[in-house]
Amino acid sequence: MTTETMTDQRTVTLEVFRYHPDTDSEPSFQSYEVPYREEWVVLDALNWLKDEVDGTLSYRWSCRMGVCGSCGTMVNGYPRLTCNAFLREFLPGPIRVEPLRGFPVERDMVTVLDDFMEKLTDVKPYIIREEEQSLDEGEYRQSPSQLADYKQFSMCINCTLCYAACPVYEHEDDFLGPAVLALAQRYNLDSRDQGNEQRQQLIWADEGIWDCTFVGECSEVCPKDVDPAAAIQQAKVDATNNFFISFLPFTPPGMGR
Amino acid sequence: MPGPLPRAKSNVWWNRGWPYRVFLLRELSAVAVAVYIVLLLVLVSQVREGRGAFNDHLDLLESPLFWIIHAVILGFAQLHTSTWFRAVPKSMRVKLGGRVVPPEAMIFGMYALWVGASLVVLAAFLVEW
Ligand code: SF4
Ligand code: FES
Repeated sequence: MTTETMTDQRTVTLEVFRYHPDTDSEPSFQSYEVPYREEWVVLDALNWLKDEVDGTLSYRWSCRMGVCGSCGTMVNGYPRLTCNAFLREFLPGPIRVEPLRGFPVERDMVTVLDDFMEKLTDVKPYIIREEEQSLDEGEYRQSPSQLADYKQFSMCINCTLCYAACPVYEHEDDFLGPAVLALAQRYNLDSRDQGNEQRQQLIWADEGIWDCTFVGECSEVCPKDVDPAAAIQQAKVDATNNFFISFLPFTPPGMGR
Repeated sequence: MPGPLPRAKSNVWWNRGWPYRVFLLRELSAVAVAVYIVLLLVLVSQVREGRGAFNDHLDLLESPLFWIIHAVILGFAQLHTSTWFRAVPKSMRVKLGGRVVPPEAMIFGMYALWVGASLVVLAAFLVEW
């Protein structure tokens, strides 16, 4: 225990967003006192509330270790994974817990993810081969440098925190959004993939990379350092290069994509 | 039965915190840079009007109003430059010998060039003086 985090505080107030689709016409906030423990994260406090105080409280979680990406929530107005947001960061409280911004709300902290899921499926986030290599030719080999091209963008856990940070996604219904574009770029940059052209139409459209105004907060809130803003800006550069190259009678070496 | 809450859109998203306000100022800084270019073009066009007109224009530029305008533009130009320096490593990935050059190194390089160029301009100015 470090000195900064030592405190005599015994409880902390959680202001929790409540909305029940069957009975509420609008959302409200409910305050709860929860025990303060140095090692507790916001998710522990929510679990304690659900077990001890109010079993109707709804929120998503699974792994408790920043891997599954299901516990994304606004904590004091900032998109966080509740499983790595320690209560001690927010002392003396209160701590306001709300569903991620930019999504419809199913109930309490549970957001409707249909739009995100559809857009994610649309960009074909998997390796596409024009022709499969036969098994006896062995595996698709990749050098460390080829891996470095896309590795960062492959770390995404689909937590949608970046969507909650993005004012463009909030306002433009069709915008594909940071994580979807980063994942499209992740496969486009993979040396084993040949699906570039299939994804291009979608990601090089206005609703793809060009709606992005480069606010950059998606990359700041990302718990996995995916840097979706970088993926999008790099895709913009690729698209621009491609546009100019298309006027040339030949393809310059190293630019054939 | 009301069903799911529709997604909320806010027109004051830019006031949610400093990163969003800085984003807005960064975008605005382009306007300041454009205004400076116009001021510069006007100055150059005054050359054609003869020495008298040019000197009158210089006097005008020395008025407190134009000092303030220039100070504001200078502030915005600094913001424009530093925010875009930060943006460059995001929009291009430079690889040397199979390794990605770290963003910090790229940003440092650009600042070094900036300081270098400023020193050259300053030296030219001092020599003229
Ligand atoms: S890019 Fe980062 S913030 Fe966005 S969904 Fe993936 S892991 Fe979450
Ligand atoms: S519970 Fe899995 S990421 Fe938080």
